[in-house]
Amino acid sequence: MNLRETGTWFARGERARRGLALILVLCTGLVLLDGVTADTPPPQEAHDYYLRRGVEETGAINLVSAIYLGYRAFDTLGETIVFLVAIAGALYMVEEGSESRP
Amino acid sequence: MTRRTEILGLVARKLAPFVLLFGCYVISHGHVSPGGGFQGGAVLASGIILLVLGRGVAPTERLLPARWVAFAETCAFCLLLGLGMAGLLGGGRFLENTFPTTHPDEIPTVGFIFALNLVVGLKVGAGISLICLRLFKED
Repeated sequence: MNLRETGTWFARGERARRGLALILVLCTGLVLLDGVTADTPPPQEAHDYYLRRGVEETGAINLVSAIYLGYRAFDTLGETIVFLVAIAGALYMVEEGSESRP
Repeated sequence: MTRRTEILGLVARKLAPFVLLFGCYVISHGHVSPGGGFQGGAVLASGIILLVLGRGVAPTERLLPARWVAFAETCAFCLLLGLGMAGLLGGGRFLENTFPTTHPDEIPTVGFIFALNLVVGLKVGAGISLICLRLFKED
């Protein structure tokens, strides 16, 4: 990162900003962790419904594909958006680190 | 890659078409056997990496320019949005199945999942191969 070159790495404002960003990320992680480690069992009604009606409603024998492309295709759309942004971000980082700046 | 041995080049050149074909198989049979869009896209990208290993970066760059691959990726994403909008225009919900469901495991019924598999596979394959083509290039 070019902050090291210009010497503003140890500026007080920069460290405060990065400390605040770190605290915010840790708080978000704790909130999400609370949602994951709850003691709720998986819903048995959804499990039975997918097994009974999956093939005839979506037409796919592969029930995994029927779920993530048929019943929950909106989550697949979100996954595709995440993939697009990840590729764009990774390409941007590669381009920034490799070309010489004038 | 500064030095490429004979064995690596030979094996990669012989394997690349079969791996690309296998990737297309995994994508198109996503509704029958395990696989689908994401998995088949990764196999397609590994086939393109085998092409780079077998021939070098410059011939593969002539075959698949980076602009075309990026354009294919954005086209696949817009096609995915278009399939969702077709559900809206067909009188149902967003991303709803717009094909008639009469016989299981045939194209009219499973056509929506089949189309989604193709689009997602193209997108994932183009994205991963774009990253790999960019990283293999050394100036």
